[in-house]
Amino acid sequence: MAGRIALNSLKVAARPRLFAAPHVRSLATSSNPPPPAERASEIINKLPSSPNLITKTGTAVLGTGLVATAISQELYVLNEESLILAGSLILFTYIAKVIREPYKEWAETQIGRIRDILASARAEHTQTVKDRIDSVNQMKDVVSLTEGLFALSKETAQLESEVFVQKQKVALASEVKSVLDSWVRYEQQLKESEQADLTKTIIEKVLASLKDEKTQRDILLSSIAEVEQLVKSKAI
Amino acid sequence: MQNLNFIINSPLEQFEVTSLIGLNAPIFGYLNTSLTNLGLYSLLLLFLVVGLHFMGNNETKIIPNKWSISLESSFASLSSMVREQIGVTNEIFLPFIYSLFFFVLIGNLISNVPYSFAITSSAIVCLGLSVTIFIGVTLLALSIHKIKFFSFFIPSGTPLALVPLLVLIELVSYGARAGSLGIRLFANIVAGHTLLKILSTFLYKLFSGNLVVAVLTLIPFGIFIGLVGLELAVSFIQSFVLTLLVCSYLRDAIKLH
Repeated sequence: MAGRIALNSLKVAARPRLFAAPHVRSLATSSNPPPPAERASEIINKLPSSPNLITKTGTAVLGTGLVATAISQELYVLNEESLILAGSLILFTYIAKVIREPYKEWAETQIGRIRDILASARAEHTQTVKDRIDSVNQMKDVVSLTEGLFALSKETAQLESEVFVQKQKVALASEVKSVLDSWVRYEQQLKESEQADLTKTIIEKVLASLKDEKTQRDILLSSIAEVEQLVKSKAI
Repeated sequence: MQNLNFIINSPLEQFEVTSLIGLNAPIFGYLNTSLTNLGLYSLLLLFLVVGLHFMGNNETKIIPNKWSISLESSFASLSSMVREQIGVTNEIFLPFIYSLFFFVLIGNLISNVPYSFAITSSAIVCLGLSVTIFIGVTLLALSIHKIKFFSFFIPSGTPLALVPLLVLIELVSYGARAGSLGIRLFANIVAGHTLLKILSTFLYKLFSGNLVVAVLTLIPFGIFIGLVGLELAVSFIQSFVLTLLVCSYLRDAIKLH
């Protein structure tokens, strides 16, 4: 009895809601109005089919038949776990539908960020390598240049040593020359001094001899003899 | 008959560990080995975790795909949690924390699949896990701090007279970690699954009635779907809480306050 009363009250309670349901639905779907026919065709389109072997009707009939057979033959037992299965499937489908797009967007953003970082790192690395190649390329002649500079420095060192030797030779020669010059000057001075002494001695001797009478006489005689000879020769 | 039927479909029946394949042989005294549903789902969990990471490895490519980016993101989150909780110098614990998180998470998520078995609803699994972690953490603290570890039980600035009492309280509090870590996980999963089982039983009875009642039952069924979602959220939250608490215990063991 109590159950019947409860059932009746539930029927009464359900009636206005059942009538109100289309109105609620129209309100709920007013912002997103897909026509029922379109919605139905969407569901039908989701059924798997192939043009030749399996038709959509066949899939639907086969699916329904298999479910009915499974339940009727007690291959699948409908119980409270089936409700959990249905609830879980609805929830998982809903979550998958809600999350798919934001997750896809987030994942693509993250992947794009990582790809950008790697691409920029690769570009920077390439640029660094190129710069390094350029800097090394500028120094490509450095070996030959160094070799030339070394040869030049070697030659310069040789020339400097030769210059030094020559300078030493010049210094020695000038030293020798100065010694010899001084020696020559000394010899000349000595010679001049000796000649002066000799001249002086001779003059003194001559003067002394001139003061001697015999010499004066000899000179006079020789002078006369010369005059006589001149006279004879010219026949004056 | 109705009562008998209800007793058979007890909401706690789903947590029973039953033998699937057994071997009883009169060798080595009396050999009795069996593969239970707990063992089977543990193996499934192992293959799922390893397989998930193998598939998410993305053939060791540097740029991740849409699947591997979620794993990389999880790794980054767990790594930052370990660094914040235990410290940058103790990242050695990251593999342990990472494995623990995915073990509990995938275990919880498997249990949300209908007709499956919840490993983390097993008290022996959860308590075994938490007691093992507790012993490991205590040994770690003893090996690092030696005898000074026991200063952990005396809060700084405690008056001498209160020391025996506080040491007792702290010791009980510390020992309770061994149980609380596992019981929290086990209790949440058991409570959630039991609730879903009870509600689904009621809903099934209502759906089995006449058409009007069945239509009306769609309203509580909507709430039921919400509860399934809540259970899904509990799976994530509990694995995160357990991992966070293990990090906290490790920090206590290493830094001692």
